[in-house]
Amino acid sequence: MTNMARYTKSFSLRLLCSKQFIFVIVGLVFIAVLPLIIDSEYVISEVLAPMLIFAIYASSWNLLACSGQGSLGHAAFLGIGGFTSALLAIKIGVPPLLGLFFGGLFSAAIGFLIGLTCVRLKAWFLGMVTFGFAVIALTLVSQFDSVIGGIMGFRTPLIVPRGIFFYYFTFAMAAISVLIIYLIMKSKLGLAFKAIRENELEAKMTGINTAKYRLVAFVLSTFFAGLAGGLYAQYIRYIDVSIFSPHFSFLPLMMAVIGGLGTISGPLIGSVIIVSIDAYLPRIDPLMQGFVGSLFPAVSNVGPPIRMMLLGIILLLVVIFAPKGIHSIIDRAYVYLMNKRAAVRQ
Amino acid sequence: MITPSGLAETLLWGVANGCIYILLATGLSIIFGVMKLVNFAHGQLLMLGAYIAFTTSVVLGLNAYVAILFAMVGVAIIGFVVERLTFRKVLGTEKLNEIFVSLGLIYIFENVAVLLWGNKSAQISSSIPGILSLAGISISYDRLAAMGIVAVILLSIVLLMKKTKIGLAMQATSQKSDVAKLMGINVEKVYVFTFALGAALAGAAGALYGIIFPFSPTLGALPTIKAFAIIILGGLGSIPGAVVGGLLYGIAETTAGYLLGGIWSDAIAFVLLIFVLVIKPTGLFGGKGD
Repeated sequence: MTNMARYTKSFSLRLLCSKQFIFVIVGLVFIAVLPLIIDSEYVISEVLAPMLIFAIYASSWNLLACSGQGSLGHAAFLGIGGFTSALLAIKIGVPPLLGLFFGGLFSAAIGFLIGLTCVRLKAWFLGMVTFGFAVIALTLVSQFDSVIGGIMGFRTPLIVPRGIFFYYFTFAMAAISVLIIYLIMKSKLGLAFKAIRENELEAKMTGINTAKYRLVAFVLSTFFAGLAGGLYAQYIRYIDVSIFSPHFSFLPLMMAVIGGLGTISGPLIGSVIIVSIDAYLPRIDPLMQGFVGSLFPAVSNVGPPIRMMLLGIILLLVVIFAPKGIHSIIDRAYVYLMNKRAAVRQ
Repeated sequence: MITPSGLAETLLWGVANGCIYILLATGLSIIFGVMKLVNFAHGQLLMLGAYIAFTTSVVLGLNAYVAILFAMVGVAIIGFVVERLTFRKVLGTEKLNEIFVSLGLIYIFENVAVLLWGNKSAQISSSIPGILSLAGISISYDRLAAMGIVAVILLSIVLLMKKTKIGLAMQATSQKSDVAKLMGINVEKVYVFTFALGAALAGAAGALYGIIFPFSPTLGALPTIKAFAIIILGGLGSIPGAVVGGLLYGIAETTAGYLLGGIWSDAIAFVLLIFVLVIKPTGLFGGKGD
């Protein structure tokens, strides 16, 4: 048996026996049967499906952050993926499912070009360049409106009908994407990313071609962001230039950071939290308007700005008090409970 | 139609716009130089400055140019609080954390502004309306006044840095914060002063911006990237660099708008940013980049 095969075998054995693996299976089964339990059209297509899509998007951002590169303009790649897949289907009749992958590939190709200029930059330069790229993407799409039609927007051709089918479709896409990202992060590639993130100079010294690996991280991340963009256009059933807005760039960052930067489950937790806030907090808008509306006569509905402000406050609190995110809090709570149970048994 | 006088006018307007960006970029540059911190929420401080000047000039009935002082003080106080409560906690940890904190602040500032002032665009009514026309070139008195005010503020900043004790302490801290600490400088105090000073400059820039252009709570992101492009163009942490970078940038922006159409005037910042980062990452006046 070659070394590689032995490694793979022991790796998969360890994987199969580990507690994590059981958690993952339970989680997958849970997500699969969830729509059968909930049985509400609204929850399935307006809450659960976007959670899955944003799980891919946030994971893609997280993969990039794993190599120490914080993008502030991932919306550019979300938008490129969305527009490419939709336009391919409409203009030259590419099957939408294939278009989805082409969207991801095209996004990765653009990501490669942007990555070329970015890989040697420090954290904040990279943030600014990526942020600026989202601005220029918006400008270009608006400029070539006669070809793209992005300002008014247009309907996107659907792959599968809305509702339960779309849910399972996004579920499959999310599961495959997250699995691939997990495998990347556990592989030698992921190890190199982590080494670069911890200390780029040391990584370079140990013989890692940091520029190359950072570029690889960029391309992989932008591929999944483009894929998520295609799915997002499917979910909204419509696409316009607002997909390039900074809010869409900051969302995956917030999800990954709030959930737990650099972990697999972090972006998933963050996606669940932020999509839930978006979906359920509007229900207390009338209540909030009644309580504090009179204090702020300048706005007709205080709900949306307060919600957005809340996102900012949560991000600040997490970064300052729990830099490893909610993932670490859950971990600690789990260990605490296990210890307590063991103590009770004795 | 591109005419010589049109072009000259564009250049002059570019210089005037550049002056406002210089102020913003100098604030960002000072904060970066001393604290090694990049405040991505700097453009939001500009926006808050514009609104504070707007409110004081409307509520107190003050001259728009007196309101600039209120904007500076108000935004300096915001800067003081923000440094104490947020940036201080993450300074010296991972660089990405500072970016995350700035993003949280962006969301908070923008939405507080929406709550207080609504989502409409506003403009500060000028106390010296009117346009000066000379040899086919016309420019509003406001833009001329902006150039003068920026020159005065920059001179006082240079004097502050060169002649006062806190200015020297800031320079020492920017060169080597550990050694500055050993020399008895209270580095934390220097940090909070620096941040408040940078914020005050953003506040002044905001007030001037609000007199010349209409603004809204969502204005913030673009000025930040422009200021960033300028300090990269001029060289990080260098005030002369920020001045030259700001003027060049202002001219490039209005010229691009004039020659290629308004939609390109914002995109030029990004093109410039990439160009400088690829060709000469240390900027025109920069020493070594950090």
